[in-house]
Amino acid sequence: MASTSSGPSCPIIFTTQTAYPLPTQKYMIPMNWKRFQLSQLVNKALSLPKPVPFDFLIRGEVLRTNLVEWCSENGVGEEETLEVEYIESVMPPQKMTEIPHEDWVSSVTCSIPGHFVTASYDGYLRAFDYSKTSVFSLLAHSAPITSVCVVSRSSDEDKPHLIATASQDQTAQLSEVSFSADHSQKTESRSLAKLHLHTAPVSSVASNESGSHVLTSSWDALIGLWDTSIPDLDEVPEPAVPERERKKRRKMNGTDAENKPRRKAPVAVLKSHTARVSRVTFGQDKHTSTAFSCGFDSTVRLWDVENGVCTQTISASEKPFLDLTLTADGNAVAAASTDRTITLYDIRSSNTANVTASMGSLSHPATPSCVASGSTVHQIISGAYDGVARLWDLRSTKTAMASFKAWDGRKRILTVDWKQSIVGIGGEGGLEIWKAAEDTRSVE
Amino acid sequence: MAADGRSSKKRKQSQTEDDTAGTFKNAVDMEMLSEEEDGANVESDDGEYEEFPGIDGDTDEDDKEVDEDEEESEDTDLEDHHVFPQAKTIVSDITGQQKRVFPEIEPDYDSDSSTEDGPNRVGNIPMHWYDDLPHVGYDMNGKKVLKPARGDELDKFLETVEDPAAWTSAFDKNTQSDKPLTNEELELIKRLYENEVPDAEYDPYEPTVEWFTGKGKEEVMPLSAAPEPKRRWIPSKWEKKKVMKIVRAIRQGRIVPHKPKTASTQPQFYAIWSDTPSEHAPPIPAPKPALPTNAESYNPPEEYLPTPEERKKWEETDPEDRDRDYLPHKYSSLRLVPGYDRFIKDRFNRQLDLYMAPRVQRVKLNIDPESLIPKLPSPSSLKPFPTYKSLRFSHSGLARCVSISPDGAWVVSGDEKGMVALWEVNVGREVKRWRFGGKIGALQWCPRTDTSYFVVGVEETIHCLVPPHLSPAVYQATQETLAPAHLPPSSESASPVKWTTPASNTWTDETPLLTIRLPPGSGLPNHIAWHRKGDYMASVSSGGNQGGVWIHQISKRHSQAPFKKVKGNVQLVQFHPLKPHFFVATQQYVRMYNLSEQKLIKTLMPGIKWISSMDIHPSGDHLIVGGYDRKLCWFDLELSDKPYKVLRYV
Repeated sequence: MASTSSGPSCPIIFTTQTAYPLPTQKYMIPMNWKRFQLSQLVNKALSLPKPVPFDFLIRGEVLRTNLVEWCSENGVGEEETLEVEYIESVMPPQKMTEIPHEDWVSSVTCSIPGHFVTASYDGYLRAFDYSKTSVFSLLAHSAPITSVCVVSRSSDEDKPHLIATASQDQTAQLSEVSFSADHSQKTESRSLAKLHLHTAPVSSVASNESGSHVLTSSWDALIGLWDTSIPDLDEVPEPAVPERERKKRRKMNGTDAENKPRRKAPVAVLKSHTARVSRVTFGQDKHTSTAFSCGFDSTVRLWDVENGVCTQTISASEKPFLDLTLTADGNAVAAASTDRTITLYDIRSSNTANVTASMGSLSHPATPSCVASGSTVHQIISGAYDGVARLWDLRSTKTAMASFKAWDGRKRILTVDWKQSIVGIGGEGGLEIWKAAEDTRSVE
Repeated sequence: MAADGRSSKKRKQSQTEDDTAGTFKNAVDMEMLSEEEDGANVESDDGEYEEFPGIDGDTDEDDKEVDEDEEESEDTDLEDHHVFPQAKTIVSDITGQQKRVFPEIEPDYDSDSSTEDGPNRVGNIPMHWYDDLPHVGYDMNGKKVLKPARGDELDKFLETVEDPAAWTSAFDKNTQSDKPLTNEELELIKRLYENEVPDAEYDPYEPTVEWFTGKGKEEVMPLSAAPEPKRRWIPSKWEKKKVMKIVRAIRQGRIVPHKPKTASTQPQFYAIWSDTPSEHAPPIPAPKPALPTNAESYNPPEEYLPTPEERKKWEETDPEDRDRDYLPHKYSSLRLVPGYDRFIKDRFNRQLDLYMAPRVQRVKLNIDPESLIPKLPSPSSLKPFPTYKSLRFSHSGLARCVSISPDGAWVVSGDEKGMVALWEVNVGREVKRWRFGGKIGALQWCPRTDTSYFVVGVEETIHCLVPPHLSPAVYQATQETLAPAHLPPSSESASPVKWTTPASNTWTDETPLLTIRLPPGSGLPNHIAWHRKGDYMASVSSGGNQGGVWIHQISKRHSQAPFKKVKGNVQLVQFHPLKPHFFVATQQYVRMYNLSEQKLIKTLMPGIKWISSMDIHPSGDHLIVGGYDRKLCWFDLELSDKPYKVLRYV
């Protein structure tokens, strides 16, 4: 593989984790080559039938310029052998559509295929299909909704979906929504149960994959664990009403005795955080009985949900965490904090009680408010208060692979969700849908 | 030396064949002889002439050879018999200039003709010694070299007639024969006749070679080959005169050499302590001139040399303002250093220094300058402090007051247009807004955590507002606090302050749950301070005759003015968190009162022109006061009335 162009060259060893391995040998690569030439080289060397674009990682950094500039920036001599990992390129995300909302969108989920479910600060739960038509809207809470998750999505179109919402009115709610794809039937939406535990705004709600349990986190430092069965009777009594208001309440009670959502009590309460819990989520696959939470007390905690105990605490210093996500393989946690970083924690080493070492941190120019993982192992997406969503490859923590501005970067991003190459971005300006091609091959 | 290589070889051959052969053609030395000598030689030759053919005529071949040789040599003599080796003029490959090339010298036995002479070995003697002898000398083997045969006058004449070269030949006394002159010799003779320089190669008019003038050949130093002047080595006349003057004085007895010192004039030993010591202070040594630095070297290191900007700046500043009165200059060698142009000025300045120097010993303070610098903590140890603007909350009007809820999740702000806005801190979203008629003077969140409300000071009133989305328990507790079902008994002393609560069926989020109406004319409440426990609240109004200070007790729904009369304009008030103490800040002083004993404890003097803000540490021991003149005063309340530390904004 002799170099054809003139100029200095440096020895390079290519490694990869993709399905296109090159034999391990040293290549003398001209220093003025850029990503394109390297990608061509790999394609030619493998003689791929269809050209596959590659990106190149050198020491945890994506090669953006040519090799000379990279070497001079990083102080690497020309004689040194560079180990270059190549990954398949991700196309830059493209904006698909924009769905304006009346109020800020606090949470969005793309879990229901063909639909986006948004929760807004005006208390409405809304759903849109891909043609931007509103499928339903439900006034779920009197206060701003902070989080939404689809508890169980039925494969059958006609069966209702169970959606959980968390709100600043200090309750979470389970709602049943049924809508059909062809709009032939009328959508029905109904609040089934209100989850009463917290005494402060509920910050997030999450369900496990089977949809049997729901976790809620709140500003009062508690995490509630709930099952999703709807009780026939209220499990939590109505608060004692003062004498002078009782008359008024009684009048209201008479009207909606039947359809009133049941008041549900938690199965367990997970107590360990010392400050506001900002996000709780269930683990995937092998970690189904594990929950992950992060909070303003600068800790990320792992919970054994069945026993209701905190198994592991990752303490950072001065990092109030805002959001957290598990990577697709479930080996690491990415947590966004107000010090403008997203920190990665490896959670596999469960034998040690306290893990504090971070694998790396992704620094942002503005506070990252939300983070979501894609379906590939290495990719996460983050949204920040400067209105820029950034696509990261965890192998390259120094710079984002791609960044794109929602609402021209003038409004805050409050939530992102990424499912099957659809990125939903919610925030001050409503909802924006972007298409970010994710590498589905390596999922298998 | 005109020995031609080829002819000398031939001569050698002929010698080896016949040593006695008298062919002396190729003489080494040549002499122009006079006519007389020539004639004498001819005469003397005559006698010997007979013998010559006998010796000579051994072989015809030899003769022929010799004849041929002679002819050849004559031809060649005309062409290449040279006094000097003939030089060729060619164009040099390297320089492109014309140059003379001499023939190569072959280093064999024959190459050096200086070591071998002709067969005659008599040396450089007057040859007329041999005039009467048949031979002219001896060869190397000691054999006589016979005189060559010479013809008579007729032969000579015939020779001159027959031989055209005869008149250009000269008599060679060493070989006693005629020898034709070479071209060079003829040329030389010709030049001598014309009074020219004999050497043809010499050019008297060749161009001057400028060895010591022109560009690049300037001689910096005066190197002169001038002979030493005479005065260096003749005795000096003036010295002689001086010496003579001394000698005369000695002779006349005016100078007595080796005059013995008399003991009476000078005591040889004396007690130095016998005198009373002087009252004066010892003379102060003269100020020492500053020692030269590296920059003043004739060859300073490069870093001392001024850049063009520095040089320009130095030249532009006045001589008095310059930090140094010279510019470093680099010379490659010491002999290039010019005369010191500032010598006079330096001496003059030194004299001025000595003359004007204040003769007072100044005591130097021996203080380590490092100790004067306050020790600053490193910024990393002070973290967290704000470094980055995370969010921006935009008000429509000028926001004048802001307060953060006790749990830190909410912030409430009021502006001059009468709008109060509640914000969620984390995302910067406006949750709710209230509108009031006038300018918002003060806002303060109640520090109680079991209830949640804040007070807003508008013109002559204070409203208590409840934020939305409270948990039922907290909301109920707030209601119980602000609008209890059973009102507490009104206090015995009638207060001009009215506490009103609207009817319970009109309660909304928009309207205040409790309104405190201050007496008319009291103006806008500028400042509100809560006691730590959240029951007492103090407000400062801009108008009113009691200094505008009111203390309100929420649980008893009662207000009182603690001061009948306050000296100065009350700016701020503050409750002590633990003790029943009360701080009142006027424009320049902070007074500390004991509320239970109703007396003044102390007056703190921050030394600020106009106090703008004041806060007390939760431990109750430290008070910090800020002013409009960018000063912060930190009081330790147990220490003194004066500030423990004064910090200043830069």
